[in-house]
Amino acid sequence: MAQAVSSPDVGHADPAIAVARHTEDVVVGDRIVRHSLASRAMHWTVGTSFILCFLTGMPIWTPIFGWMAYLFGGLQVCRWLHPFFGVLFSVGLVWMAAAWWTQMLMKAADRKWLSPRYFVQYLRFESTDPETGKYNGGQKALFWMALLGGLALFLSGLVLWFPTVFPETLRQISWILHDVAFVAFFLLIIGHVYLAIAEPGTFESQLDGTVSKPWARLHHPRWYREVTGDQRK
Amino acid sequence: MPIQGLEIIQSSASLRGQGTGLRVLPTVSKYIDTSTCIGCKACEVACQEWNDLDVAATHQTGTYQTLPTLHADFWNLIRFHEEEFEGGLAWLMRKDQCMHCADPGCLAACPAPGAIVQYANGIVDVNPENCIGCGLCETGCPFDVPRFSSKTGKMAKCTLCVDRVDNGLEPACIKACPTGCLHFGLKEDMVELGNSRVKQLQATGFPNAMLYDPQGVGGTTVVTVLAHGDKPERYGLPRDPRVAFAARAKEWIKPFGIFAFGATIVGLFAHFLTVGPKKPHDDNPPRAGG
Repeated sequence: MAQAVSSPDVGHADPAIAVARHTEDVVVGDRIVRHSLASRAMHWTVGTSFILCFLTGMPIWTPIFGWMAYLFGGLQVCRWLHPFFGVLFSVGLVWMAAAWWTQMLMKAADRKWLSPRYFVQYLRFESTDPETGKYNGGQKALFWMALLGGLALFLSGLVLWFPTVFPETLRQISWILHDVAFVAFFLLIIGHVYLAIAEPGTFESQLDGTVSKPWARLHHPRWYREVTGDQRK
Repeated sequence: MPIQGLEIIQSSASLRGQGTGLRVLPTVSKYIDTSTCIGCKACEVACQEWNDLDVAATHQTGTYQTLPTLHADFWNLIRFHEEEFEGGLAWLMRKDQCMHCADPGCLAACPAPGAIVQYANGIVDVNPENCIGCGLCETGCPFDVPRFSSKTGKMAKCTLCVDRVDNGLEPACIKACPTGCLHFGLKEDMVELGNSRVKQLQATGFPNAMLYDPQGVGGTTVVTVLAHGDKPERYGLPRDPRVAFAARAKEWIKPFGIFAFGATIVGLFAHFLTVGPKKPHDDNPPRAGG
């Protein structure tokens, strides 16, 4: 893993960006490639389809957000579009599951990260457990919760899409499940977006795919050691 | 289509109706006496004709019933039930239609502002212009009445001929009924009529007769005399109808969700002011090549 690509002649003024098109977990100059183009395309398929589901679903959920419907031409259009965006979102989540599930398996270090003591320490932005790998326990937990929430939203959404073909009890359960799963999912997403803002340097990893070495060392120490070969803790 | 000039007291996905709420207006009612219904279906024809509804294709399934269930193009269905009672076989006929609940489950369920309205006179009407065709009204209704029309993509149901009522006429079905088992008038008058008919039935061999005006949905604008009132299920009526649980749960999930979103955003902003951001201590060298 500890390989350094340092050829300046890779077809871009910033060689790290060129490398990030096809590779990840490599050092290029003073940058580390964290997400290849494929990872970023997958992440933003999930992200943009979620935003579209959000904008078309919120006005149906409550009239307080009725104004969002005008972005699409009215509530009738939202009712028609929302399920299709939902299918796109589900496809994105299946892609995410296929691409990331092996990296998201919970290890001992992750369970430690998720223990109340370390979690509070994390929330205080105090320090990072030196055994934190490419993804910390919280990120892995988010991954699995997103898949679970996505499954609940997909199954209940299917029933709500074609209400007349499903029995009454199933429609009622689906209606409540869709609402509850959405509330839980959106709370997770608020936290996800917040951490991208509150931890500067994170958002770039989903734009050009790269992070700085100090960023990697601070947030993901074991991943930093594996990728750079720098054994300082 | 909501009638201009009729005061609206409740409107779907809106906090309140559009009326002033200052005037106390009388509520109307339709009275159905199942014990004098002969199943002639004149009311079905009158409903189709007045409301300009397409004729749905029928097929013989071994019953006199016109269609198996209500349809977006068929709002008034006489249901035929052959039921065994102690005294022998009873052939029960009931006029199935929108009950115009005082607490309408369809209206509580509807997410489209103004697509379902309740007038001060008690009639629950639909506004196709605002309907988004989501079908949640079907889930919210305890009587399984609203029907989604695949032709128009909208919901449709009995309007209690509000366009006639607004002009001082009785609904078309009542005009057509040959036995007088249907009546239309003020709610209190129809309840009085129903109670006196129930007493008559009780005195003539139907001790369990009752007037069906279920209080679980705040009472209904359509009140029904049942000779076998202890067994409303035999007529295809729910014993204790309530607004669907999901429609009620939504009223809690929505404010909780919105509060949780707001509290989380405020909390995280406070977190950022006190704790964040989390930046590396190391020198952050400018990007090479930039």
